[in-house]
Amino acid sequence: MITIVEGAERERHSTLIDEMFRMRAAVFADRLEWDVIVTDGREIDRFDAEDPLYLLSLDNQTGALQGAVRLLPTTGPNMLRDVFPVLVPGGAPASPLIWESSRFAVNPAAFNACERAEANHVVNCTTIELLCGIVEVCQRAGIEHVVSVFDARMARIFRTIGCTFEVIGTPARIGRTMTYAGIFDMSEAMRERLGETGRLLTPVLATVEPRRIPHPRHA
Amino acid sequence: MRRRDRHDDDPELFELLANLEEIAETTRIPALLCRLLEIYGLKSVAYLGSGLSAQPGQGPYLAVTYSDDWVDHYKAQRFVDVDPAVQIGMRRMLPIDWDTFDRRDKNVRRLFGEAAEFGLGRRGISLPVHGQHGDRALVSITSDASDRDWRHLRLYYMRDFQMLALHMHQAILRLEGQRMETASLSPRERECLLWVAEGKTAWETAIILGLSEHTVRCYLESARHKLGAANNTHAVNKAGKASLLSQIP
Repeated sequence: MITIVEGAERERHSTLIDEMFRMRAAVFADRLEWDVIVTDGREIDRFDAEDPLYLLSLDNQTGALQGAVRLLPTTGPNMLRDVFPVLVPGGAPASPLIWESSRFAVNPAAFNACERAEANHVVNCTTIELLCGIVEVCQRAGIEHVVSVFDARMARIFRTIGCTFEVIGTPARIGRTMTYAGIFDMSEAMRERLGETGRLLTPVLATVEPRRIPHPRHA
Repeated sequence: MRRRDRHDDDPELFELLANLEEIAETTRIPALLCRLLEIYGLKSVAYLGSGLSAQPGQGPYLAVTYSDDWVDHYKAQRFVDVDPAVQIGMRRMLPIDWDTFDRRDKNVRRLFGEAAEFGLGRRGISLPVHGQHGDRALVSITSDASDRDWRHLRLYYMRDFQMLALHMHQAILRLEGQRMETASLSPRERECLLWVAEGKTAWETAIILGLSEHTVRCYLESARHKLGAANNTHAVNKAGKASLLSQIP
């Protein structure tokens, strides 16, 4: 299941959020060796101070943190506009109907806890569940598109699981890897594709609301 | 079925966004808010802005359709200290449905009880705005819709008011003397607008440019936002006037 935590209300979920920051250090600093700042074993950057929205994937049985992702509005400070302008020479997309996703991470504890085949399965499931969560939360808030910066490794994963995207701007080699900016469509079709790949046909967010929007103003 | 562009068939939303953009005096804000009530059948609209000015010590900016009686009562009771919409709303990313507030707190219960007595409506949503430079705003709307109608209405309100809230915020920033940055478009945004100016649909533009239709819609959405335009036609006109379309990418 996916739990939504508003950055502004993170103290209500302080244990989980702290665990997420430690997981991010393990993923981005230790595993991927990205150029991130780790303090006290936690990877926290300036965008965490911008009241983002966090989606946390929690194990249905144990409640353990399996993965996390962060969402920011493109109208305010965001990574594509402020950290990776090199990827979008003409300027980053901006609109209240476009959000940015960043710090997509699957808990490496999954690799250690089980056999290789099973670990791959858990990683795939968590990835798809997080992506389904992004689509669902965007649909709830009326958001139509998500932009994101990702590397060649993630691009391959997105392609494998049917998470279609279109590259925007100009990909660039940053550090050791090719880095892309992409647009993702937060449509029902996207949710259905992901749902079929990951066998997640029912909503992954804890609560659901109706999706259809009638036009009652003239009624 | 292809999605239609959201604003092209919506003259009232277009009118509102155009009015917000043209508003030149603070004194015109109340009339504009009243027009919002009329068009959307709402009980109240309130705008609360913060960080609008670079000068320190500036208090929050408030523009509301509430009655003076309610505003006086709200101040006298110091409801701002307990109002969950104000306390947390501006820092959130997701719109808040007032139904989700924890009413076990007796102060919160009293606030909403008395708000209803003052004719504010039983339902409410607050939409946060994240501005370019850390400025924030919260636009709250209230309604007296029945439970059944509200389930549909709230999503529809959320959709339109994401746009309206941001345009309201930008209008107020401008009225407060903030210099607005001149719009610039990315090459793709310009290209998409150029084809729309040629009368092509998003779908046709997608074929021409070898992009998916949703990507074209995203570029157009971003272009509309950057130009402060209410729909594609409006965006083409504004980009044309600002000579943003003349450079062929």
